[in-house]
Amino acid sequence: MSYRDDNRVALENDHPRIEMVEKVTGKARFTTDHYLPEMLWAAYIRCDYGDARITRRHVDRARDVEGVLEVEIDRERGRYHGDRLGHICAESRKALEEAMAALDLRFDVERPKTRIERERTPLDQLDAPDNIEDAEAALEDSDVTVEAEYQTQVQTHCCMEPHGALVDYKGDSARAWGSTQSTFGFRDGLARELDLPSSDVDFNCEHVGGGFGSKFGPGAEGTLAARMSKKFEKPCRVVRNRKEEQLDTGNRPGSLQYMRLGISRQGRIRGGRIATWGSVGPGGGGGGVRNPSRYDFGTIARSHEDVNLNGGPPRAMRAPGHPQALFAIELMMDRMAGEIGMDPLEFRRVNETSDVRKEMFDAGAAMIGWDKRRDGGVDLDNGALRRGYGVGVGDWGNSRGRASVTVNVYRDGTVEALNGAQDIGTGFRTMLGDVVATHIGIGRDQLKVRIGRSEYPFGPASGGSVTSRFVAPRAFMAADKAKKAILDLVAIEWELDDTEGLSIEDGVIRGPDDRQMEWGRACRLLSEERVSFSADDEGEFWKQPTGSDAVQFVEADVDIETGIVYVRRIVALQDVGLPVNRHTVENQITGAVIQGLSFCLFEDRILNRQTGAMVNPNMDMYKIAGPRDVPEITPVIWRSRDDPGVNSLGEPPIVPTCGAIACAVANAIGTQVQSMPLTPRQVLAVIAGKERA
Amino acid sequence: MKSFEYLVAENLEAAIESYGDNNVMLKAGGIDLLDLMKERIETPDSVLSIDQLDDLRYIREEDDGVHIGALTTLAKLGESDLLKQHYAVLHESAANTATPQVRQRATLAGNLCQRPRCWYYRNREFDCLKNHGDRCYVRDGENEHHAIFGGAPCHILHPSNVAPALVALDAVLIVESHGAEPKRIRAAEFFVLPRQAMFTENVLEAGQVITGIILPEKPRASATIELREKQSFDWPICSASVARLEDKWRICLGAVAPIPWLSEPAMAVMEDRDVTEALAKEAGEAAAGEAEPLSDNGYKVDLVKVVTRRALLAAAGKGDH
Ligand SMILES: Cc1cc2nc3c(=O)[nH]c(=O)nc-3n(C[C@H](O)[C@H](O)[C@H](O)COP(=O)(O)OP(=O)(O)OC[C@H]3O[C@@H](n4cnc5c(N)ncnc54)[C@H](O)[C@@H]3O)c2cc1C
Repeated sequence: MSYRDDNRVALENDHPRIEMVEKVTGKARFTTDHYLPEMLWAAYIRCDYGDARITRRHVDRARDVEGVLEVEIDRERGRYHGDRLGHICAESRKALEEAMAALDLRFDVERPKTRIERERTPLDQLDAPDNIEDAEAALEDSDVTVEAEYQTQVQTHCCMEPHGALVDYKGDSARAWGSTQSTFGFRDGLARELDLPSSDVDFNCEHVGGGFGSKFGPGAEGTLAARMSKKFEKPCRVVRNRKEEQLDTGNRPGSLQYMRLGISRQGRIRGGRIATWGSVGPGGGGGGVRNPSRYDFGTIARSHEDVNLNGGPPRAMRAPGHPQALFAIELMMDRMAGEIGMDPLEFRRVNETSDVRKEMFDAGAAMIGWDKRRDGGVDLDNGALRRGYGVGVGDWGNSRGRASVTVNVYRDGTVEALNGAQDIGTGFRTMLGDVVATHIGIGRDQLKVRIGRSEYPFGPASGGSVTSRFVAPRAFMAADKAKKAILDLVAIEWELDDTEGLSIEDGVIRGPDDRQMEWGRACRLLSEERVSFSADDEGEFWKQPTGSDAVQFVEADVDIETGIVYVRRIVALQDVGLPVNRHTVENQITGAVIQGLSFCLFEDRILNRQTGAMVNPNMDMYKIAGPRDVPEITPVIWRSRDDPGVNSLGEPPIVPTCGAIACAVANAIGTQVQSMPLTPRQVLAVIAGKERA
Repeated sequence: MKSFEYLVAENLEAAIESYGDNNVMLKAGGIDLLDLMKERIETPDSVLSIDQLDDLRYIREEDDGVHIGALTTLAKLGESDLLKQHYAVLHESAANTATPQVRQRATLAGNLCQRPRCWYYRNREFDCLKNHGDRCYVRDGENEHHAIFGGAPCHILHPSNVAPALVALDAVLIVESHGAEPKRIRAAEFFVLPRQAMFTENVLEAGQVITGIILPEKPRASATIELREKQSFDWPICSASVARLEDKWRICLGAVAPIPWLSEPAMAVMEDRDVTEALAKEAGEAAAGEAEPLSDNGYKVDLVKVVTRRALLAAAGKGDH
């Protein structure tokens, strides 16, 4: 199939985001921007260490602070830094903060579990997987065996807008605002907490500043705000500060990934043993790693262990389990290729399971200049800079799911598109508007898009890259109904037998004999003030999905004296099915690449080994990529199929990035950094190790 | 943050007069102070703002050298042609600090007096020595961002990347206080080690305000090389500022010690000699020679060699980076 260099999109929409002006002028109101009269402020009392028991508290002093309504400690022992032990509710932020300080907790600290490599069950003590004999046979059948272990760190979500909720309970109903990835999940959770029917909770999340998987349901914030609002019969707001965000909103768990694989001389992977470990909170799981995946690994005997640590527990994070897996997998692919002296791209072609990605390999290799790649890196300037190239892959599923869209047409020509789902920054609002406007054939100025409220038709939670995928077919369907209805009226007006031969373009309806009618005029043919067209089925607008395949190529320079990695260029080829709006599609790809780069090079939740307290719960010591760290990124919108539907885009482009960067760095310095993040310290240590060897 | 009284000084005299009361803290740009107050590391009753004293914003040449007002922002230092042409060492460090946004607010004096970024000191969970506690977490804890020189008993890094440039230039700080003659203090003597004073990083006493800085001498050559993990929004992980005053080289390292670290061994290698590849390398080795790395910060020893060599070569116009 093909891709187009100019990234033109199927619907020819090249407009900026619908809410662009609101966002850049501050007019867009997020949950944290809402203040109600007599609003209460509440927050959690938290554990300061990894595993600690309260030994001193000044609850009375905290209660004595003017404006404090409630101070309660429910648990004596916390199992991670940020663990919730109780709460304070007060009439003002000042009173809340002063009460927190007055409480002046002291703890008795136990030695915490902070390191996955220390706490895991070692490989040789794990139960052998059921199919170990088959895997051993595959290894024996191989010409070469390659063995390595890789490690990835914990990454926090770092949503731009903190988690928060504002709940206003009114006895038999409630209004609420929340920062969420799930309008309806949040509403239903609040309804349960308030013991109200869902229909009596009016929930609003018109603008949301990121979630990345950490904002489903009302969460700890919504629950506390609801409880306090109900108890004190006043609106209550719970919004986390940045430190709480870093400690206790979930994370991408860390991993250890051991691989022993056998390959043939021709580069075919036969199989072997893969053991993974994921770092999770003090109880519960969630540390899964998607290794193996994407490539055909033959017969694999696989095991996974979740390792409990005294750190904040994981939560789903953009492509949960995938980027960390591909870090290990791509490095392992390069290692195996090197072992038999095969070009890493060729080695991937041999073991690739997707035909689309094989085509992407060719296109991307040409764009990045793969032929410049040299084993051991390219010496750029007879100085300390070495250049390397790397490649990585990803994809995503495209199943079907529930959603409804309503399109309202008013007699004055205004068209409204309604769906209750939230736009967490992805551009969902723009996608919905563009589908409806383009399918009907009217301009954006004639369209209003209303989303992010529980009174609108049902929309899915934004998890698993489903939002646009589920909603778009219904948007087409509802728009189609609206368009047909208006054309029917025009056909009657023009005394035609049917609507055949009628079309709408740029808000003008055209018919036989050069007849024309403005959209606005046509709408005046309606007998009612407003007509609604709803769709919850997909009809002909559900299309055979693509695999949302992704391939990324990276060019990176490494200063071998300082260990600093400078990523120069990333070419990101991404199949998205039907690309609706060029900006939002490119934006999702670019944003995912930046987040993947940041994970690979910088981000790291660091727990103090003596106390279990996180040493970097802020935005300067927890390092996140900034403008100068962002390379030239070329997003390529790939078309693998004629007439596709809107497919997954939020997650797939983050899957390949860290693996591709790690491979580029390894190529540049001639040895692999097996542990993320690739900081100067790590890179220098690996270079020194190579020199010693 | 604890509630506080906000005082705004009308002029320098008034500021100096009201400063010096107990638990009044001075605020210039406020970038560092606010961070400390939010985490309740500092809980002043009153904050005295001097940020509006525009008389303290200037860069001008006088008979005894270049004078810079204490409230001159890092952005202004970065824009100055005078500094760019003759004081590359200072210009480069100021122009590369943090981000454009930070540089617009950050003042020169505030930058020199900002408190360490040590992650134990900055988080109230750690009752560390500098936070009036009884232990340092660094030796047995996470120490990749801690000192390799002059550490014990507290292994902070001095956070300012402008300070090493001023030490290399042998700059002089002008310090004023109520009822006293203005004092002049050499930058090299301004900063103090934890073993000399645990709760401050400099010799300022209660009531003393930095009002200006003098660069007494134009260096014959100078340069700063800074290495950062991230290229935006980050402090250096190692830096070297070098300046040749008259004939002699002064070499000051940053982000490796609790104070800007004037490297005597490196200066002994260079003395008044012209830079060659071999000498620059030798100076780097000498600078690293006296390091005492901890469990996880040994990489800084390697970086010291690199930045020293590169800074000397850059100053001599032979730099490849
Ligand atoms: C993301 C980020 C990155 C950064 N990166 C760097 C970097 O790379 N290099 C670097 O050096 N810094 C860096 N900084 C720190 C920043 O440069 C300092 O916080 C800033 O320079 C402080 O200046 P200020 O005027 O805001 O000081 P303030 O916060 O107002 O004051 C700081 C301290 O100095 C005292 N003080 C202020 N003025 C005077 C005076 N005239 N006399 C006596 N005492 C005074 C105050 O009482 C206070 O204790 C970074 C900051 C951020 C947020």
